Amino acid sequence: MWKKTPFISALTAIMLFIILESVSFMMITNEGIFQQAKIAGLTLRLKTALSSLTLDIEQYLKLRSVNELLHTENLRLLKENERYKALFTSLDTTSVDKSLTSDFSFISAKIIANSTNKLHNFIILNKGKAHGVKRDMGVISSGGIVGIVTAVSTNYSHVISYLNLNQSVSAKIGATGVFGPMVWEGRGIDYATLKEIPIHKEFTIGDTVFTSGFSSIYPPDIPLGTVRKSSEKGGSYHEIQVKLFQDFSSLYNVSIVVNNKKEELDNLTKK
Amino acid sequence: MRKTNNLTLFFLFALTQIILSTIIDFGPIYFVSVYPLFLLTRQSVSSTHSNLLWAFAMGFVVDYFTHSLAGINSAAALVMALSQNKILKLAYRKGELDYQSRPGMRELGVQRFVFYVGLSLLIHHVVLVLIESFGFTHLLYNLPRLAVSLIINLLLIILIELGFFYKNRK
Repeated sequence: MWKKTPFISALTAIMLFIILESVSFMMITNEGIFQQAKIAGLTLRLKTALSSLTLDIEQYLKLRSVNELLHTENLRLLKENERYKALFTSLDTTSVDKSLTSDFSFISAKIIANSTNKLHNFIILNKGKAHGVKRDMGVISSGGIVGIVTAVSTNYSHVISYLNLNQSVSAKIGATGVFGPMVWEGRGIDYATLKEIPIHKEFTIGDTVFTSGFSSIYPPDIPLGTVRKSSEKGGSYHEIQVKLFQDFSSLYNVSIVVNNKKEELDNLTKK
Repeated sequence: MRKTNNLTLFFLFALTQIILSTIIDFGPIYFVSVYPLFLLTRQSVSSTHSNLLWAFAMGFVVDYFTHSLAGINSAAALVMALSQNKILKLAYRKGELDYQSRPGMRELGVQRFVFYVGLSLLIHHVVLVLIESFGFTHLLYNLPRLAVSLIINLLLIILIELGFFYKNRK
């Protein structure tokens, strides 16, 4: 037996009120055309708001799978892009530098550990030797470069993040094509410094910076960031602050870059 | 005994309301509503459940036998009944609350009776007018209707209270 408390009494009174008020409103809607139209409009608005809310929740819950789907699609497009580049190079007989637009393929991977708050940050990926990952392979994502593979086990690989004081990547300013090393100087995860840009070269704030492709690690023309500000160094060089596109704090899906002609290139440089 | 008394008063008030609604026609500026007096003076601080059931029954009968929109009076009376006990507690002086007595003009005094009935009637009328127009878009037309109805109905209720209840209990 439960005791009738003031709370239960108030609750039942409210329930009774709602029931009786609903009956009254049902009678109103049955008889009044104006009220009927108004209530129908109100119900429609409520339904729309409710379905919009459930849709938002559903979409939010699906975000991870959508993200993975996008990553797969991105990877497919990257591969397709590389195929077209190779095809274009083979057709373009005037091209001098064929090696750099050659076959790059990609291995999709997920980040399982990522540090961003140190001066020497690292990343661990869920792909290793078993998936074809090797040392010195580049790692990229849709936001730009991520780092370089330094150690590989059967199923995992260790990556030195670009957020590392020793890391440098050859980059060029899109508008002029002038290039130099872009270095992370530990001043925040959003910024890097593009160095050794000759003083006579012109560029504007907001110009996009891409990978130059002058290495066997990263493919060319990967957007890295935009020019934010610059300063003169020693009267002969610009030092440019670049706002990176890459958000290292929310990285999840990445692509490991496989340069299919790396061995050939390495052998050539050894000779 | 009280139930019989309540039932008799219920039918008398319903009948009065029906007759007045048929006789009085001032167009859209005024709607007659005297039945709230029955609901408001049944018993001091009666249970909300019984207030709600009586309010629904009275509203239903009034809606059925007058030309008003079915459900409109019951909906308005229900909202008034829900707030009835709270307003009554505000009207009573501290320690004066007698749960058994009828909260009439004699028991409450003129000022507090007018406050209690006026505020309850205001809630009833506001709900009624809002359901009629379903929103605030016709506020300019509804405000005079609300004010006129509230004043006249309050006067009618005071007259009924003075004529039939105040005197008999002396």
